This record gives sequence, C-alpha cells and structure tokens, in this order.
Amino acid sequence: MSKHRILNTRAPRVDAADKATGKALYTDDLKRPSVLTGAILHSPLAHARILNIDTSRAEKLPGVKAVVTHREAGTTPYGVSPARYDETVFCHDKVRYVGDEIAAVAAIDLDTALEATSLIKVDFEELPVVLDGRTAMDEGQPQLHEMYKNNICAQVHWHFGDIEEGRRESHLIRTDRLSSKMQDAAFMEPQSILAETESSGSLTMWSSTQAPHYIQRTLAMALNIPLHKVRVIKPAVGGGFGPKASCSSAELATCLLAIRTGQPVKLTFDREQVFLHSRARHQFFHTMTTGVKKDGSLAFLEHECLLDGGAYASFGIATIYYSGSLLGGPYRLKNMKYDGHRVVTNKPVCGAQRGHGAVIARALFEVQLDRIAEELGMDPVELRLKNVMEAGETTCNELFVSSFGMREALEAVRDSAAWKKKRSSGGKTRRDGKGIGAACGFFVSGAGYPIYRSRTYHCTVVTKVDEVGGGVTVSSGAADIGQGSDTVLAMITAEELGLNLDDVRVLSGDSSLSVDLGAYSSRTTLMTGHACREAARDAKKQILEAIAGKLEVPAETLDLREGKVVSLAGELDFSRLRKEYLQEHKGFSDLPDTPQLTFAEASRIAFLELGTIVGTGKYRPPPLGGSFKGAKVGTSPAFGCSAQIAEVTVDLETGEITVGHITGAHDCGYAINVTQVEGQMQGSMMMGMGEALMEQIIYDNKGRIVNANLAEYKIPTALDMPHLDAIIVESNEPNGPYGAKEVGEGAIMPVIPCILNAIYDATGVRIEELPVTPERLVAAMQAAKSRRG
Amino acid sequence: MILPRFDVLVPETVDEACTMLSDHADEGVRLLAGGTDLLVDLRRPIIPQHVPRCDGCTTHPEGRVLSTIECAPSDSDPLMASGGSIRTALEGPRHAAPAFLVSLHKLDQLRGIERLADGGLRIGALTSISEIERSPDVREGWTALAEGADSLGSPLVRNRGTLGGNIANARPAADMAVPTIALGGTLTLKGSSGTCDIPAKDFPRGPGLSVIKQDEILTDIHYPSPVPYSGSAYYKLANRKALEISTVGVAVWLALKEPGGPVADVQVALGAVGPVPILAESVREALIGKVPNEKTLLQAAQAARGDARPIDDHRGSAWYRVQMVEQLTLRLLRTVLKRIRDSK
Repeated sequence: MSKHRILNTRAPRVDAADKATGKALYTDDLKRPSVLTGAILHSPLAHARILNIDTSRAEKLPGVKAVVTHREAGTTPYGVSPARYDETVFCHDKVRYVGDEIAAVAAIDLDTALEATSLIKVDFEELPVVLDGRTAMDEGQPQLHEMYKNNICAQVHWHFGDIEEGRRESHLIRTDRLSSKMQDAAFMEPQSILAETESSGSLTMWSSTQAPHYIQRTLAMALNIPLHKVRVIKPAVGGGFGPKASCSSAELATCLLAIRTGQPVKLTFDREQVFLHSRARHQFFHTMTTGVKKDGSLAFLEHECLLDGGAYASFGIATIYYSGSLLGGPYRLKNMKYDGHRVVTNKPVCGAQRGHGAVIARALFEVQLDRIAEELGMDPVELRLKNVMEAGETTCNELFVSSFGMREALEAVRDSAAWKKKRSSGGKTRRDGKGIGAACGFFVSGAGYPIYRSRTYHCTVVTKVDEVGGGVTVSSGAADIGQGSDTVLAMITAEELGLNLDDVRVLSGDSSLSVDLGAYSSRTTLMTGHACREAARDAKKQILEAIAGKLEVPAETLDLREGKVVSLAGELDFSRLRKEYLQEHKGFSDLPDTPQLTFAEASRIAFLELGTIVGTGKYRPPPLGGSFKGAKVGTSPAFGCSAQIAEVTVDLETGEITVGHITGAHDCGYAINVTQVEGQMQGSMMMGMGEALMEQIIYDNKGRIVNANLAEYKIPTALDMPHLDAIIVESNEPNGPYGAKEVGEGAIMPVIPCILNAIYDATGVRIEELPVTPERLVAAMQAAKSRRG
Repeated sequence: MILPRFDVLVPETVDEACTMLSDHADEGVRLLAGGTDLLVDLRRPIIPQHVPRCDGCTTHPEGRVLSTIECAPSDSDPLMASGGSIRTALEGPRHAAPAFLVSLHKLDQLRGIERLADGGLRIGALTSISEIERSPDVREGWTALAEGADSLGSPLVRNRGTLGGNIANARPAADMAVPTIALGGTLTLKGSSGTCDIPAKDFPRGPGLSVIKQDEILTDIHYPSPVPYSGSAYYKLANRKALEISTVGVAVWLALKEPGGPVADVQVALGAVGPVPILAESVREALIGKVPNEKTLLQAAQAARGDARPIDDHRGSAWYRVQMVEQLTLRLLRTVLKRIRDSK
C-alpha cells in the first residue's frame, strides 16, 4: 500500500482528453486577427560567400508586408553556450549549410510569402565544402568559421586516475570502434511560431519550444529588447527530444517580422525544414580501449571521440562533454582518459537529442563489455554485475550517485527475460539467427548548472489558492512537451493539499509565470517537482494557520486530507465557520454537510482572514562536481539508471532483423505516475531501436539531405515494434521529491547496445557502423565468413 | 506540406476524362486516382533538389552506376528550361506541376474485382489496394498480387491507393506492378481513339515513364485463369515492416506439368533492380522443362540475378541487391512449390 493517495498511481494525464479529442491547441492552431504568414529563404548551397542580396523584387510583390535580412536583423551573435555564440539571425557574410537562413518574408498568405522568397536574388561565390567530419581538421581543408581554427569547434582532454596504472593492472585489453550517422528527432509537431507586439513595445511569442526561459533570453539579446518586455508562451507541444531546446533563427525572424509589420506573424515549418534546421543527434566516431583484470573488474578506459556537428555549435559543447563524462558510471572505473573533438562541417547543425552526447558512447562501451566477457569466458550480465556501482559511490570524474538501483535493474531484467535459460553459458554466442543481448546505462536527472553562467534558481512555482475557495492554480514556467510534466505538477499539488486532481489547475510553459529552465536534461520531475511541493506546502501552511487561528487550536494539529480539514487532536467545533460559509452561498446546491470542514470552506475562510493566499517554491541544486575544466557537465543532483535485454531474430541471408522482445528495468527513484514512467521507457525503447536499425540522414555530395521527409527517413512503425516489458525499480532518491528522479532519457541508454549485443549473439559478427541495416549486416557477415575462410 | 495551385476536374465518364487529359495537355494535367503517389509528387520542396524516387533504376544496360542527375532528361526539357527543378524534370511529362487534376472518383465502373467466365480475373483500375488485399479470390488464385497488396505502404495508404495508380505510375519498385508482370497480367488502356490491351511487362519504359499516351487512361487489369499445379508469391525486402519502398521486390509464378513433375512454365519479375520492373527471361530458360530440385532452383535464382540491373542508391547498393535477387528468387521458388504441393 503506497504511503500516498495520488502519487505512485496510474492517474490519467490532465491533458489526455484534450489531446485525444483534438481540443488541445498547438501553436499552428492559434488564431490572431490580421495574422500574416512568414516564410524563410534558405541557402541552396552548403558553403558560399554572400556577395549581394537584392530584395527589391520581393518587396514590390503585392501582399508582401516585410522582407528582412541581416540588414534589418543586425548581426548580434547568439547561440546556445555563451562561449560559442557563432550564429546570427540571418547569414551576412557566408552561408554554411544547405538550409542556412538568408532572409524572411511576411505576407498576406503562404503562397505570396513563398513567391516573395523566390524573388529575393542572392549573389553567391561558391566555396569548397567540408562534408566529412573525419577529415575536417586536416590541413588545407576549407574553413567554416574564423573562430574555429582547423574547423575545431570544441575539444576536451580529460585524464582521471592513472591510465598507465590501469594498463599494468589489466589482464585483457581490447580496442573497438563504432560510428553513427546524423539523425533527426522525428517529433510529430513541426516547429511553429506566432509572434505579436503590443503598443507598449512588448513582444509575445508562442512557439513549439522546450525552453521558454532560454528562448526569452535569446530573443531579448539578439533583437535588443529589454528582457521583461519579451514573453514566450509554449502552447501544447508535439514532442521535442532536444532540438526544440534552443532558440532558432525562425523564432528570431518571426519576431522581427512582427516588430517590423506591427501585425501578428505565424510561421510553421514544413517537414523538410525540420530536417534542415535539425539540431538533433550528432554524428559520432568513437574508439575505446578498455582493460580488465582477470576477474572481470574494469581497470581503465581510454576513449577518443570525434563529433561531426554540422555548421554551428548549438549544444555541441555540452554534447562533447557528455560523450566523455557519462562513461564514468554505472560501473566502478578508477582510470579514465577522454579526448574529444567536435568539428564543424557544411551540413545542418547537430545539437541535443534524448540522451544527448552519451548514447553512442554508451552503445560502444556496452558492446565492448560483451566482447570482453566473451574473451574472458564470462556471462555478460555477470561481468556487469561484478562492476556496477552502488548508492553512495562517486565516479572517477566526481559524479556522486546518491541512489542507484543499477544492480536491482539488471537482476530484474535478467530474471524477467529468463536470461540464464536463453543465453549460452560462458559468454559464448549462438550464431543460429536467434540472439539475446543485455546492456546498462545511466543518465543525469537534471543538469547541475544552467546553460548560462548564473546562480539563478532553476525553477520557481507559484501556487495560488482560489479566492472563492475550492481549488488551486499552479503557475510554472515548466514546459510540458508531451512528456506529462503538467500531470506531475498537478499530482504533487493534489497530494500535498489533499485534493483531487481535477481541483488543481496547472498553468505552465509561459515565461511570465516563473523562471524554469525548461524540458531538457530530464530535469522537470526532480527540480520543478521540488519547487511545486514547496509551493503547495507553503499554501497549505497558510490555510491551516488561518483556520487554526479561527478555531483556536494549534496549527500542527490540523491537516488537509481527501478534501477535508482533519484534526489530529480530537473533535473540532467548526460550526461557526460552516455557518459563515453557508451564509455566503445561499441559493447554491451541494453545500457541505460533512462532519468535517471541507477544503472549499477552509480555503474560503482562510482568504477572508488573509486575503490572497499564494504559496511559493523554488529549487536550485547544491554546488556539484569537481574543479577540473568541464567538470560541471554531467553533474546532477541524482542519476537514473537502466538495464535492458533484447531478443532478436536475424535472417542470416537477407540480413533482416526482427526485434521480438525488449525487457527494460529503470530506476526512477519513485514513480510519481506509474503509467508515465512506463511510457517514457517504452518511448525510449522505440526511439533507440530506430537509431540502432534504421535512422540516418543521408547527404548527397553537395551537402543536400536526400531523405528530408518521414517516408525516406525511417523510424520504426507499429509493425516493427517488439513486445516491450517495462519494469520500474524504485531506489528512493534522497535528493528527489518523494524519492523521484529521471526516466525521460536514461531509458534510451541501453537500447542500442542490447540490440547490437543480441545481433552479435545471433550472428557472431559485430557492426562498427550504425544503423545496422540489413545490407550492412549482410556485408559484415560475408566479411566475417571470408576472414574465417 | 506545400502544394502548388491547381484546379480539379471531375469527369462523369471515362471518355470525358480522356478528353480532359488531351484538352489540358499543354497546361499540365494529371490524373487523381487514390492520390497517394500524386501528393508526394506534387509537393513543392523547400530546397530544389532531386528527390530520390529513382527506386534503384538505371537506364544503362551494363548496370553502370548512374547518378540520378545523369538519368534526367536533357536541358532541352521545357521544365528544365523554365527553371523547374531537376526533380520535376526527372518525373517525366506527366509528373510536372500540373495546372489541372482530373479526379476519377466518380467513375465507379472502374472499381471492383470480377471473376470471369474463363476463370480469369478482372480488376478495375480504381479498385483500392485494401480491397485486393481482402479479396479471397485474389489470395486463392493470384497469391502474389495479394502479397503485393499486403506489403504496400500502410493500411491508410492501402485504403486510398489504387491498383491502376500503382501500375500506371511506372515506378520500378511498384508492389502491384511486379506481381502483375509475373502473373502475366494485361492492361486495358482507353483513349479517344479506342481501346487497346497491352501485356503489363511491356507497359513501363523508365522510372515514371510508360507507353501510355497523353489522352489514355488505364481502365482495368486482367489476370489469366490459374492453370493446374500453379502458384505464386511475392516478397518485398526493405528496412522496416511497413511504409516502405522496396530495396528489392521479387514475384514468382510457376506451373508444373504434373505434381512432382517438371516445370511447365515460370515467370519471375524483379522490382527496384532496374529502370522498370524486369521480367527475368533467363529464369524461363533455366527452369522450364526441368524437374525442380535444389540444383535447378539455384540455377534459376542465379539466372534471375544475372537479369537484374540495379544501381547504388540510398536504399541499397547494387552489390546487395543482386545477391538478394538470387536469395529471394530461390526462396520464393521453394515457397511456390510448397504452395502447389499443399493445395493438392
């Protein structure tokens, strides 16, 4: 029996009915009077100098209200990380990828706006292109940015412990490689933006975004508007997964058009533009050398990584750190060396995507553990169990895990999937077309520090008690992008105030409501959850103190439960309060006649005593991490962890792969909403499976995307989905509200490697390039056969 | 999705539709049957580029790898000259951004599956893929066609997409065209000057190109009556289990002289390994008159491989495709033989 009434249940999401019936409004659904349509002129070339931009013909087209270029927008640099502001609203000196934004138009309708963009004449001097990240750093390569010598956007060199000592201790050392392709996050809702100005000079922008607060800051900075005059509102959002966590040129351009025209302007991406804007998963090239002792315990990891990030920095500086830092766990590893380079190339820009920089690194490391197990003649699950960290331990790169159900998760999937029965003993592979593979992973539960350097609170929450009595309104800047954070805030508030879910109204995703860093790094349940609980408790305290004062009893003897005021110290005589409430409500029906004072009565009486009752809450993590350069990336107040087992069938002749079953277990600390936790796990498995087997952006030799649509960019369909089992592990995180921590991203970590390990079990061949298409698998199987002779 | 402006014409009869096609030839006109291919073709790209609908084609007889741009018609193409993208030029005359769409939705006479007196089958061109998928007649007598329908797009696409549209678009990977060729299907084309029948294998002329004339409409598809001891099968190889264009598609139809006896006749059609679906003639030479066993089946599969003319494209390499032609042909021959055995 749960100690909570609302939490830890399968409460339906507060937005479920609206989304299922189409009532929920996404940005493109919003209507404003006299709204104009925006369109962007994208570069058709991957690398070129801009010699001249002539907008005169576009401006003369009837129906066109504004044409803007860098001349109107200015060239204030912006980006994600202040250390790498390398973008401007529009290109002014060069274009650096096919899709780079050159100009924008506002017109009376889309046809006119598009025609106008086609009338803008741009004179280019075409420049040689850099399309292959592996050679981007070489001498003599074309240079994208003056600020990135040899096209190196960022590099990291870490050495924790002592690699040489690790080598000496090692019984077995092996080196493996894995590369991936750039990806698309394939969210359902393309980006959409609506911007409007007021006569006071204020700007309001509705946008399909994950991070209203960061977007607000970037709009103010790049467009030179006072911060307090910029309001960013996030309507219903159809998924983000990372690419919507930073401000886009399209957002800036739409605001600029609204400012220039004085009319509302709406701009919605075509699916092709989603691919052009991208900011999704980088392309990774990993090489890892790992040593283990005779008993299988890890001795060292030497890791090199090259990230191809496309034309600009975006989140890339965090990505490159995450690629290295999140191999510090979930296994005990004393010695770790990491050398990472992020290069720029003339391709659409990569940024953050679910699991951020850690996903492909995790995939290779877990594949390597299986190879090591095979060489040692150990069961791969046993090898992992031998090395897993426990709560209270700190990684070599100074990440402290305050709760850690890694062992429990791994044992849970091992037993649930009948691993011992299905997997050959001693790390041997079956190679008969049927395979089973396991993997683990872990992830931050909220980034320890904001993107800009500040000691800002990461979130605040205001909970206002209805002045008429009966309900409460929770106000938060948190961004529900489909992951269900509004439901979590409603559940926490209802739990604390003893209310039903439908007595709590959640207003969120609006920069004018509160500071909240947004939906990224799996932070909302832990961080905004903390602030939400604090705000609810604050409001509760005020209500109970007011009632206690009226009844002349100590406030500590009162509590709010199931919509009533309960006394912990004998019966209360509240007849005077009820009389007053009933007098106020002559003519109303359903008036309280319960033997206890209702919340409606108590909250109304408290208002009569105190006036407005507002509870506030805030959260900021304590200082975290070490003092080395880049130590802050990867820190978190808590870490979620995940284990999964995949079962696959491979057609040994055609290379077709069928994933039949994935069993996953995730330690989320405490499941605030059980169904939502399972949903995140299932969504992660689906997404990871797509990355493992299907997803890749394909470019032609001019840097143009060949498959910029969801017909040719493959993600799993319903028919591809395996049977999924989602097992929840609860380790009671001391730093999380009610013991809760993340599930949004950690659950994607084991997916790719457990599938790769299962494919190896089925075929005896390893793939060094993702995704594992049937053709790549056939090629690898034939190469292995010819090596064996 | 950004579409160009166009007017929709709604004919009441096939003759009227043919007239509309010829009347608006100069302004650009296209047929709207189910619309599932048409919408993709009409979409205006943000970045002018070739959109990969080449489906593993090549126009080069030796199987040399041709880039899509090399496949495009010359600069004299009016679309290229008017600044149209490479993509529109590639699609051929009927794939241009049209000023008119002729919607066939009122022509109910073009719908339906009919068993003929001689045991054959007539399917109206406007019959939906899902109706074919659900037809017990088709599955019993023309199994490869039912399996083509199973593999096409998704349930939503199959509800809208039509047999005629899939064949008339002349894509090298078309999931209905490949089985239709293997099953010896015949297409009825109706135009202002009359009606003609043409074997399905002779219809396509290149990716998106066919022998159909400007004012002609594909009205029905005829499948001959199944002969004794015969059967068929289709397999689509792709990277996922739905919403795919095949990397390789193979359809096999085979008839035995008698149970356990030699092969009386065989037709193997290959999709996505040439500019058009290929009828693998060498398989006939390799197998007709022979008693099917592992050796003769393998020879037949290798013959099919020899007939394939694939290129490298984003869906797969020529290297992989030719191997899969052999592998899938071998498997499907076995499948069909098993079906013939089991149906006794």
